[in-house]
Amino acid sequence: MSDVDRSIAEAPLPTGGTLRRRKSLFYQATRFVAFNLRMMKMVTRAHH
Amino acid sequence: MDRVVILGAGISGHTAALHLQRQLKNKVDIVVVSPNSNWNWIPSNIWVGVGKMTKDQVTFPLAPIYKRKHIDFRQAKAVAIHPEGSAGTGQAFVDIVYTDPTRAGEEEQITYDYLIVATGPKLNFAATPGLGPDANSWSVCTAGHAEQSSAALEAIIEALKAGEKKTLVIGVGHGTCTCEGAAFEYTFNVEHELRERGVRELADVVYLSNEYDLGDLGVGGMTFAQNGFETSSKMWTESLFRERGVRAILRAHVERVDPGVIHYEVLDGSKHTLDFDFAMLLPPFRGVDMKAYANNGDDITDNLFAPNGFLRVDGDYEAKPFEEWTPEDWPKTYQCPRYANVFGVGIAFAPPHAISEPRKSPNGTVISPAPPRTGMPSGVMGRTVALSIAERIRHGGEAPLRTASMAAMGAACIASAGTGLRKGSAAAITMYPIIPDRKRFPGSGRDLSQTSGEIGLSGHWTKLLLHYLFIYKAKARFGWFMIPE
Ligand SMILES: Cc1cc2nc3c(=O)[nH]c(=O)nc-3n(C[C@H](O)[C@H](O)[C@H](O)COP(=O)(O)OP(=O)(O)OC[C@H]3O[C@@H](n4cnc5c(N)ncnc54)[C@H](O)[C@@H]3O)c2cc1C
Repeated sequence: MSDVDRSIAEAPLPTGGTLRRRKSLFYQATRFVAFNLRMMKMVTRAHH
Repeated sequence: MDRVVILGAGISGHTAALHLQRQLKNKVDIVVVSPNSNWNWIPSNIWVGVGKMTKDQVTFPLAPIYKRKHIDFRQAKAVAIHPEGSAGTGQAFVDIVYTDPTRAGEEEQITYDYLIVATGPKLNFAATPGLGPDANSWSVCTAGHAEQSSAALEAIIEALKAGEKKTLVIGVGHGTCTCEGAAFEYTFNVEHELRERGVRELADVVYLSNEYDLGDLGVGGMTFAQNGFETSSKMWTESLFRERGVRAILRAHVERVDPGVIHYEVLDGSKHTLDFDFAMLLPPFRGVDMKAYANNGDDITDNLFAPNGFLRVDGDYEAKPFEEWTPEDWPKTYQCPRYANVFGVGIAFAPPHAISEPRKSPNGTVISPAPPRTGMPSGVMGRTVALSIAERIRHGGEAPLRTASMAAMGAACIASAGTGLRKGSAAAITMYPIIPDRKRFPGSGRDLSQTSGEIGLSGHWTKLLLHYLFIYKAKARFGWFMIPE
């Protein structure tokens, strides 16, 4: 097993809850808004 | 009337053309020279490559847009710049060769008062024998390449359905490649597609990259603050690889691609082979083939362009060790030092050095990513230079230039990991600044409050939204300029 394989094999797996949240329409709608606001902030900083 | 010639109608050149026209309306003569009749939203080529979008959904013809905006479009490629003009005239010009089918091969000289070089990358498949769609591997760099990849992938899926085992290798085809993010996206889109089609079990999906660690992405990796801890993009990416069962081969330089066999060297100097049934390997980039001449006819290409073919601008190009790299090395105005009316934006400008730590194998082979210049900074550079030129045209040649250093700019990047309005997912990343500043932000060099990453369905929605928004903007439809770069 290479170092890279070992590192991947030891990486944390998402829990059932995390996987459900990643697909939950309600939760993801809130993340969609949050990420887009974050991105807008970044974009406005880049346009000075 | 001043003439501004823009070479290249990709993300940076097209953005520059539209902003310049909006700023100066009929007070400027804008000429855009680009060999392709179509504009391509390149990020969505990933979806063309898995058959989820067609070429027509990610491209559109440029001529009608330029006609509407009174921009003179020449479907041609620039082959030489004469920044001092020819002997006696002093009027700078570029040599172009038409690719427009009605004038194919015809040569012309176009004079300019200002020149924006936005020619993007030359896809340098020739750097690796056997690399590329004309040889033994596929690509998604153009919409046409992506269509070919999609057809090849479809054939693999059919074979998997028939019960055959297949190895699919996706990654980069040279030790000095950039754009690892695109290879990452294609890997997970293919993996997603295989699962959706019920054939994942028989497929071995391998990611092959020149990155030192997963999550490096050519920006030296990222550190995120999550749940009260500092986590790394390495751990985060490894987690995704584990969850989706994708293997990774890192620190690799592809030496040669034979039919069905990749030959590669890794950073410790050892050499290996990897058998494959399907391989999508991105090429390394270099500047497009363009010459430069002084007014006495002397070849000054090496003065204008760095050895990698990219245009030297106002960066600090002095070679120095990694420990001495600073954010100030990076260009701010994108103005060419020798010729004040020449600018280079997007992938076409020469970066002063990489962002990821440079590494060589004991055999002397460079195996580390070149710095990515993604869509958002490319667009911002195009707009910034357009505004600088507009101000100089309005107020005279000494008007101050605008700045847009990648060391003072953040980037948002959404790496698709599969499509579908209900089943899609993407890694949505923001980082600030793009070029790490270890003095301002000790440790990772980036602001932890503005550097973030999360995986989920909403990332896919954002990526899809950006697809429609940027195509709308590039078509210069009503209110296009309100959509930021
Ligand atoms: C597969 C893939 C996926 C990507 N995904 C993302 C993503 O998700 N997000 C992101 O931010 N970035 C992404 N990128 C990067 C993004 O596409 C680039 O940052 C962007 O296209 C750079 O813009 P540019 O204007 O410098 O070059 P380009 O967009 O490549 O434009 C260059 C233009 O110059 C023209 N040209 C070439 N030679 C000449 C010549 N001799 N004379 C005149 N014109 C010439 C070309 O035809 C083209 O019109 C991706 C890249 C790839 C390859």
